[in-house]
Amino acid sequence: MSEDILLSSLTFPTESVKVIAESIGISPLGDDVSKELAEEATFRLKVLIQDGMKFMHHGKRKRFCTSDFDHVLKMKNVEPLYGLHSIEHIPFRFASGGGRELHFIEDKELEINDMVSAPTPRLPLQIAIKPHWLAIEGIQPTIPENPPPINKDTQKKDAVDPAAKLSAQDTKDQKHIHGRGMKSIETVKVKQLATHELSAEQQLYYKEITEACVGSDEPKRGEALHSLAFDPGLHQMVPRLCTFIAEGIRVNVVQKNLALLIYLMRMAKALLDNQTLYLEKYMHELVPSVMTCIVSRQLCMKPDMDNHWALRDFAARLISQICKNYNTTTNGLQTRITRVFSRCLNTDRTPLSSVYGAVAGLSELGSEVAKVFVLPKLRALSDKIEQCMEGTNAYDKNAAAHIKGLLLKTVAPVLKTLRNPPDSVADYKMEFGYLGPQLQMAVVKARQAPPPPTTTLAAPIRAIAPTATRIIQQGTMSSMGGIGPRTVVVNKPSSSGMSSQQPGQKVIIMTSRPATPSQTVTTETVGGVVKTSVVSAGSSGASNLTTVTVNPSTLGGSIAGQISQAALASSTISQGGSQKPTKYLVVTGSNGPIKTEVKEETEPNLQPPMDIS
Amino acid sequence: MEENDVPTYASLTPANPTIINGYAGIDLQSGQLTTQQTVMNDSDQTVVNQMNMVNTVAVANVGTGMQTVSAPPMTPVVSSPVVTQQSTPEPCTEAPVESTPVERNTLIAVLQFLKKNNFKSTEDQLRQDSNFFEDVEDSKAGIGGDAEVSSVLSAYKNEGDPAEYYDAYMSLQAFVEKSLDAYKHEVSLVLYPVFVHMYLELVYNGHEEVSKAFLQKLGPLQEDYYQEDVHKLSLVTSRDHMTGYQIMDNFRSSQFTIRMSRDTYSHLKRYLTERGTGPVPRIVHDRLCLELYEGVPRTRSQVLASAGAQEGEAAKQFNKIKVFYGLLKEPELPNLAMEEEEGEEEGDKPKKKKPKKDSLQKSKKNDPNAPPINRIPLPELRDIDKLEKAKAFRDQMKRITLNKDTLPSICFYTFLNASGNITTIDITDDSSILAYGTADSQIRIQSITPGKLRCMKTSEQLSDIDKDADDVLVRMMDDRTAEPVRTLLGHSGPVYSCCFSPDRNLLLTAGEDGTIRLWSLQTWTCLVVYKGHVFAVWDVVFSPHGYYFASGGHDRTGRLWATDHHQPLRIFAGHFSDVDVVQFHPNSNYVATGSSDRSIRIWDNHHGNCVRVFTGHKDSIYCLAFSPCGRFLASAGSDKRIIVWDMAQSSMVTEMVSHTSTIYTISFSRDGNILASGGLDNCVKLWDFGRVLEDNHEDDINITHSADVKREDSLLLGSFPTKSTPILATHFTRRNVLLVSGPFEG
Repeated sequence: MSEDILLSSLTFPTESVKVIAESIGISPLGDDVSKELAEEATFRLKVLIQDGMKFMHHGKRKRFCTSDFDHVLKMKNVEPLYGLHSIEHIPFRFASGGGRELHFIEDKELEINDMVSAPTPRLPLQIAIKPHWLAIEGIQPTIPENPPPINKDTQKKDAVDPAAKLSAQDTKDQKHIHGRGMKSIETVKVKQLATHELSAEQQLYYKEITEACVGSDEPKRGEALHSLAFDPGLHQMVPRLCTFIAEGIRVNVVQKNLALLIYLMRMAKALLDNQTLYLEKYMHELVPSVMTCIVSRQLCMKPDMDNHWALRDFAARLISQICKNYNTTTNGLQTRITRVFSRCLNTDRTPLSSVYGAVAGLSELGSEVAKVFVLPKLRALSDKIEQCMEGTNAYDKNAAAHIKGLLLKTVAPVLKTLRNPPDSVADYKMEFGYLGPQLQMAVVKARQAPPPPTTTLAAPIRAIAPTATRIIQQGTMSSMGGIGPRTVVVNKPSSSGMSSQQPGQKVIIMTSRPATPSQTVTTETVGGVVKTSVVSAGSSGASNLTTVTVNPSTLGGSIAGQISQAALASSTISQGGSQKPTKYLVVTGSNGPIKTEVKEETEPNLQPPMDIS
Repeated sequence: MEENDVPTYASLTPANPTIINGYAGIDLQSGQLTTQQTVMNDSDQTVVNQMNMVNTVAVANVGTGMQTVSAPPMTPVVSSPVVTQQSTPEPCTEAPVESTPVERNTLIAVLQFLKKNNFKSTEDQLRQDSNFFEDVEDSKAGIGGDAEVSSVLSAYKNEGDPAEYYDAYMSLQAFVEKSLDAYKHEVSLVLYPVFVHMYLELVYNGHEEVSKAFLQKLGPLQEDYYQEDVHKLSLVTSRDHMTGYQIMDNFRSSQFTIRMSRDTYSHLKRYLTERGTGPVPRIVHDRLCLELYEGVPRTRSQVLASAGAQEGEAAKQFNKIKVFYGLLKEPELPNLAMEEEEGEEEGDKPKKKKPKKDSLQKSKKNDPNAPPINRIPLPELRDIDKLEKAKAFRDQMKRITLNKDTLPSICFYTFLNASGNITTIDITDDSSILAYGTADSQIRIQSITPGKLRCMKTSEQLSDIDKDADDVLVRMMDDRTAEPVRTLLGHSGPVYSCCFSPDRNLLLTAGEDGTIRLWSLQTWTCLVVYKGHVFAVWDVVFSPHGYYFASGGHDRTGRLWATDHHQPLRIFAGHFSDVDVVQFHPNSNYVATGSSDRSIRIWDNHHGNCVRVFTGHKDSIYCLAFSPCGRFLASAGSDKRIIVWDMAQSSMVTEMVSHTSTIYTISFSRDGNILASGGLDNCVKLWDFGRVLEDNHEDDINITHSADVKREDSLLLGSFPTKSTPILATHFTRRNVLLVSGPFEG
């Protein structure tokens, strides 16, 4: 409506009439004349456009194009404007000067020689016809040619606002009852616990895909991954597939089966690449799995032989992809991920492989993150590397070399933007210690060359000594999980990733049950964001590192969705000295209410476990 | 009302009581023809055009050189307009079609035209043919001519006070608001035409500022579906603009028809008498055609259902003419028995044969509503047609019966690399070949079965063929020329329509260049160029029996042609805007046209008269489809709704609303149970037409006026979205598989 009025009030400006008159040599054009002309021009143009719309409609297009205008001119017995065809949008330029403002279309003079000598433009592609089944006996098959049955927006809405669906259903039900004119028969809908069943075909698909993805047949795996990445209509199977990945990672980290871990990560990547899926509901399974592959202490049987570094790089890229696509202010995904990584770097006793993962993960999250979290640690890392390089342990040496390579690659572009040339070796040495000279070289090099695209550095070098990987949690959480109160922890509401500098502040807990007795949970709402701090009350003063692992992975798909956010951040960590006994908070709940127990282990020479499954 | 006699206005109204509405369109065209003449070197052609314009059509003179069909073509007749406009001030309920005076007046008008344009010999011929030798005075007061235009416009001349208009309108509106609910909705129909004519009077009398303010204040108050017209009107801001502008022509030359109950009318009349002389009573008196009926005034939904067309509502008496909507008797197929034997050989069980016979007999039975078989001459069946019929029959036996539980399979033919280029798609009846036209004036034909497209052998090679051989048809074609795709070049502008002949040997195409071309699909050459339409031709369609075809275009006429005549046999003039779509009735006796004036008309091919006018669409109509039973017509277009009309009752049956953008194609399944539709919203939708039929039988009420139109979205059976591919064509194969096609816009 308002647009209509706007359109009808649009007129051809009298200034334009004057300019046009000037350009054809009639310089003093009276105001009244130009006004008259402008009105006439407005009317004629609008009539032409109106009639031209008919050509647009019969050309079955939504866009008016220049040829429509030509045709309508021809229809009105006016010579068409030849040579004004353009397939692309022509920008309307603006210029001002001499007290006048002008809109014009850029009309460059073309050199005829250039046009003649230029290679002939490519022929347009031949029109081709491709048949496919849009529906088979009234059911639309989920093939790439057809749109996904539930589009991404709906999935997203479903994930972000599950209540919307409920209310929609309610009104529909009511309408139905009214429409029938029935006496008030109230039907209470009892929602079944397992409402989600896969059809026989889907079960077969699941079986085939999972077998192919982790099997030994590489071409078949390629096909399976392609199917995961491009097929629409997988959303029904996503919960199962995510569970498969999570379970697989959990088991194989314990087994230290690098190959399977890689396959599973590729599977996760394929799912994330699928444009028709919105995976926010399943982050609670995917994020811990991917994180495990980045920062786990040991990922393979022979760390000195196998290239687990590549897996860490790959998983780091995945996590950055997840952050990019699914980070919202509500789930604070990036904040939490960043926090986990930076905690790794802040702890002295983090194994070198985990340090590598943390650096890789942080630097993949972008230069800004690297600047805030990696740069301050550069000196400490540098010392650590020096120590390892000069030590005798071959594993440590190898790992240190990897970290060094990674740091040089990722930090140099950041330093380049932060520091001004000239880059003196002494400055660098003073600031960054051992790594200084090499960093300086890298920065100088980076200044000369355009920044190279990030590629995986996959040098097969031996790794450092293995330490025991800890998978702490076993068991399942039943559907009860959805009922428990949700606590969403955000330290600082709006700043993502920048806030967790001080080690003491970093407490994230997210359980689907009331907090364990040993913890006090305080919740306050600041600007719509629930801020909860969990204070571990284990041993006052020097609290111990506590990991809470919640694994809802064996749940059915629909239920998993309900508790997804609750179970997302599954680690509660507080800072502490390593001499104290480590407390593990184990959440179990196979087929029943969740039991939470605190286990204590005392290991004298314990490295803080970094695994999150 | 009749008391308020304002001679200056009423006497000058252009609505000639005896002349078809369509002349409004025609006299504009003839005005423009003079310019057209300068463009076309072929002055002969121009003459032809002009003659066409007035429905005279002296086709009898034209040699019928290439008679390929043994049946004689229909004798060309003057398409006598059936519409008699009510010039009498008292709105009448009944208007018997006075045939003789109408024809006489038409004849006079035609003769005037011929005389004016100096077509002496044609005039003489016509006089002789019609035994009419009275003298015809020059067409000063008749149709056409610039004098006419100015006199029409001067009707708007009025010395009234411009300020009075706004108050008068507001008072009318207040009256409508205060009316009893029973009358309110019918009375409210008066508002829009009064508004329009008030505005035009203001503009004509040069009150520019007042008219602008008038439009700005009151324009937005009009019904939503009139907003586009209001916008068009808003462009007219001075007297100069009023000539040659289409919507203007419509308003000034025709009366706006409004149907209302007698009670409502007396209610309105009381008000008008109270007002005495003023713009409102005058306009209602002169410009509106009020059609009264006995009975209860209609409700809002009923009023809304039929409102929306540029001409107001369809007057009831238009739609009282009997229409033979039944199907023609299927011709005897002597070789059917043989075919059935073949069927047995294929392994059909004898059990299946029984229903076969029944259905066969059913189709043989005479439909009481069917026209006589010789009502219009139809081409005789050739052997090849009989073979084709037998093949179709066999396919029909294997057809799946669709209903709401058994939905069809849909096969989608996606055009790649063709975004914005494909303008029309057609698929042959046996679903073997697909033709499409492009914006760059190409026509391409593609086989969608493994069968290739072959060219006929040269004449020397043909003479070597044994003509008695069984496979002579196969031998005729040259195997070396087999190609999956062929391109036909000839049009000089976008091709807006293409249509295969039922025997698949011919293809008709029409385009922006104003020509219709007939192509042979055996020699792959252009056979005939039909020049007749003055401007772009939007649609062309073959008759289901072949030989005849119909077209419609920007010149606001629909035309009926025969393939062996290069002149149209009938010209259907009457629409107020472009004829966007034409469709043949399954019995070939009628042609339906849909137009941008938002109405649908059905024309009788026998005498060329309009026999039905359906109003109710709120925007241009782009597709029409007759149900296989012949009784129902489905239409759809820019207003995103599909409306089903009943030819027998002349009423709206149902309205199907679910699409979100322009609908470009609808088609019925072969058994008539499912209606498929598609358009720019990238979605194929299936509708339960079986239920529409059921409900309609249940009711079977005698609808005197406004039926309660059911608007049910529960009729929607399925919605199948595509990946950003608009749907330009839907087609049910003989076995009820739905073929859908459109260009990918990725």
